[in-house]
Amino acid sequence: MAKIELCNITKKFGDVVALSDVSLTVEDNEFFVLFGPAGAGKTTLLKTIAGAEFPEKGLVKIGGQIVNHVEPKDRNVSMVFENYALYPNLSVYDNIASPMRSRLYRKDEAYIKDAVDRVTKMMKINHLLDRKPSQLSNGQRQRVALGRCLVRDPNVFLMDEPLAHLDAKLRHFMRGELKEMQTSINSTTIYVTHDYMEAMSLADRIAVLNKGKIVQIGTAQEMYYTPCNEFVASLFGEPEINLIPAVMKTEGGTLYLRMLGQEIDLYPEEDTIDELTAAGTGDIHIGLRGNDIRFAFEKPGDDWFEGTVYANEPIGNKVIMTVDTGDCKVALTCPNDTVAKLDQKVYIRPNMKNALYFHGATKEFITRNNKARYTGKKN
Amino acid sequence: MLGKKKKNAEVDYNQVPAHIRRRPYYIIAPGLIILIGIMIPFITAIFLSFTNYSFRMPKWKLVGFKNWINMFKSDSFYHALIVTLKYGLGATAVEMLLGTGVALLLKKDTRYSRILKVLFTFPLMVAPAIAVLIWQLMTSNTVGILEKVLNIFGIYNFPWAASHQTALFTVLVIDAWVNTPFVLLLVLAGIQSLPKSPFEAAAVDGASAWFTFKTLTFPMLKPFMYIALLFRLMAAMQEFGIIYALSKGGPGDTLMNLSLTGYITGFTYQKLATALPYLLVLWLIINKSAKFLVTRQRHLAKQAAGQ
Amino acid sequence: MIEGKQKGIKGILEPVLRNLGLTLFAMFALFPLIWMVLCSFKSDAQMYNTVFVFDPTLDNYQAVLVGTDYFKAFFQNLVVAGGAVLVTIIAGVPCAYALARYNFRKKEDVAFQILSFKFAPEIMVILPVFLIFQKIGLYDTYLGLIWVYQLITMPLVIWVVRGYFEDISVEVEQAAQLDGYAWYEIFFKTLVPLIKPGLVSSALLAFIFAWNSFTFPLILSGFKIQTITITALRYIASDTVHYGQVAVASTIAVLPEVIVALFIQKHLVRGLSFGAVKG
Repeated sequence: MAKIELCNITKKFGDVVALSDVSLTVEDNEFFVLFGPAGAGKTTLLKTIAGAEFPEKGLVKIGGQIVNHVEPKDRNVSMVFENYALYPNLSVYDNIASPMRSRLYRKDEAYIKDAVDRVTKMMKINHLLDRKPSQLSNGQRQRVALGRCLVRDPNVFLMDEPLAHLDAKLRHFMRGELKEMQTSINSTTIYVTHDYMEAMSLADRIAVLNKGKIVQIGTAQEMYYTPCNEFVASLFGEPEINLIPAVMKTEGGTLYLRMLGQEIDLYPEEDTIDELTAAGTGDIHIGLRGNDIRFAFEKPGDDWFEGTVYANEPIGNKVIMTVDTGDCKVALTCPNDTVAKLDQKVYIRPNMKNALYFHGATKEFITRNNKARYTGKKN
Repeated sequence: MLGKKKKNAEVDYNQVPAHIRRRPYYIIAPGLIILIGIMIPFITAIFLSFTNYSFRMPKWKLVGFKNWINMFKSDSFYHALIVTLKYGLGATAVEMLLGTGVALLLKKDTRYSRILKVLFTFPLMVAPAIAVLIWQLMTSNTVGILEKVLNIFGIYNFPWAASHQTALFTVLVIDAWVNTPFVLLLVLAGIQSLPKSPFEAAAVDGASAWFTFKTLTFPMLKPFMYIALLFRLMAAMQEFGIIYALSKGGPGDTLMNLSLTGYITGFTYQKLATALPYLLVLWLIINKSAKFLVTRQRHLAKQAAGQ
Repeated sequence: MIEGKQKGIKGILEPVLRNLGLTLFAMFALFPLIWMVLCSFKSDAQMYNTVFVFDPTLDNYQAVLVGTDYFKAFFQNLVVAGGAVLVTIIAGVPCAYALARYNFRKKEDVAFQILSFKFAPEIMVILPVFLIFQKIGLYDTYLGLIWVYQLITMPLVIWVVRGYFEDISVEVEQAAQLDGYAWYEIFFKTLVPLIKPGLVSSALLAFIFAWNSFTFPLILSGFKIQTITITALRYIASDTVHYGQVAVASTIAVLPEVIVALFIQKHLVRGLSFGAVKG
């Protein structure tokens, strides 16, 4: 296992910039997740580490050594491809055995049998060993690809959406297996996903990518509680975070915010005021997650915002209610026994302790209550 | 210059290593060398067309545009040009119509049509020269079956390739026999690739068979027909084997297209330099039409794919 | 009511007309071949006065195959066409791979240039070749013919096989690289098995085209090397035509091709259209 470093990587395909000046370090034995929307450059980043793509600028280091000129086969990395990339002419067994039969990583057949046995049992595909990839479902193919990756002991595992095509139950199970394996064999893993729950549950650290650039690197907690801008904030969490435009004013030494076109003053927490003032703008976006907004059907007081029920979607253990306040729609999570009629009057009140403040023009994160708790030692 | 190079001798990690960068050229080289080796004569051909080279005389000299001017002045050139176009367009038209028609008949999947699809590929495999022999057996006035069939209708001694009135018809029959299956197969492949849903939608809407063909089937088959057209037209314009094997261009000069005129002048009469302008004109026609059709075909394929 | 009636007539008439059309074309396409085989078993005397009923004889086969050079031509044709295909596979398949996978300057131009050989008038290419081959001693040799035949076989194989290479996802190759295989191992162990159907069928089709070539051997072969297309013509050119022998010569020339055609049915369209139509 090894430490992986990328220094100022730029990769273009014709005029399209796939990666732009990307630098990151994945520590030895770390489970590192690359997260971002489609087309963000996640796969290209993995392939650059694998050596399948050659960067126009920058250096790739594996275990401290520059590997730009090392051919893929000599890099000793193992990868799950998004489209599986199984050998169509080989059986499941031979597919998984393939890396152990090459000249570089050759093992004897008895060892191969044990190893294939081990991973196929873990992937629950040990009854399919004689099948060809064309005779498998997508979920099964993906597990074969994962098996072929995990059967080795490489410098780093590169996994490109390895669980994307599994059904929900199996995905949950495999996620546990991967986490378990991670702790038991101490592997460096770089894992690409667009599922925020997968990212948060697996990752030691997450890098958010957008349009070929790294937006933020940090732990799952940092991503969720102190996202560096509105883009990152909107990637994590379900329902998507509410970003509500607000006007910040100071009157008689008191700082307050107004939003949703209603004449209700909101007072930010004490420890956020300095930074909010320093932002130098009155145009603030308040980021509020669905569970940070209380609601009531009878008006509890004058400082509650008024709206009507726009939609009400039960999703099992909770209900997502969308409230139309006239200016914008606000999504909030309610207990699953909540019954609401459409267009019914509803009153909401944000929990300012968990509010995230963003600069209205730049969309950058300004501050939140108790910031230090979430970011650890970092400023 | 050298000193500067030495200074930068440390590895440039953002330059693909030379042995990897050059790999495609190494891989492609043997094939290209073989083909380019063959192309050298082509360049020679252009050069020789400006000389008075003849296989008979070892001495030759540059004569400028003389061969070209002579060709444009001679009637045989215009005759050959017309024969080339007549044969090329005639054969292609017959094969396109017949091939497309039969392909549409084969659309319905029955056991009969499945067997026929295989059997219809057989003539396509036959060498043009052999096809001529086979049709000699058919058309011979003494042993041929066609003579016996025509006798029933009161026609005796149909002249086939021997008369300048029926010679073109005869070669076209042979060409069509060999090459119609080519068009047939391509159009059939197009038919089999047709998506089902638009046709089901048309059926639900109660569209007539002709309307469905005009607005759905035909536009979707067009790219396939274009490929068939491209290959057939290019081959028919330069057809040599069938005509040569059948009548060596005769009777008289009835079937002397550009290929045959070039061959007879250059090889039989051994006046190579005189023959080359004919062949270069032929090459020019074919190359230009090919380019035009290839561009059209790409455009159509894009259109069929929904832009 | 009326609609139902119309459908009824159409329903009966349509298959009848369709099968009639198909049968007519089948007669046009297949009868000459049947007639050829029939004639090959007719004696010279029966040739003139019988149609379908006659005493079959093997005399013609004996006349063509024993004591003549037709058998030799058959064999030499095999060597030339087979050799041409072999050279094409060795040099052309890597070429097809490079054109499918690598991006290099002028790639599309190179590919189109290769295709354009198919559209170059054979006679125009061959006359200067004749001149040069005579000078450098390649006239009337296997090597010379096999080389020139590349014009027939190489563009076909390169274009068809290139399409098959393009069908394989790049990731499969990348996976093999990461598994520790060198590029040549990947080429032979991973890719060649995957393009095999395309390679075999296009090679066989190329073989047929080479086997059928008439123009090239007509000009470039003399007494030493004879091909079947040229030799067969002699049976019709002689003063007294033995039609039975013509029939035998044709049958023997056609036979290997029909057999090959049966093998490659599934890939025939893709081969014939140089990969443009994926049948």
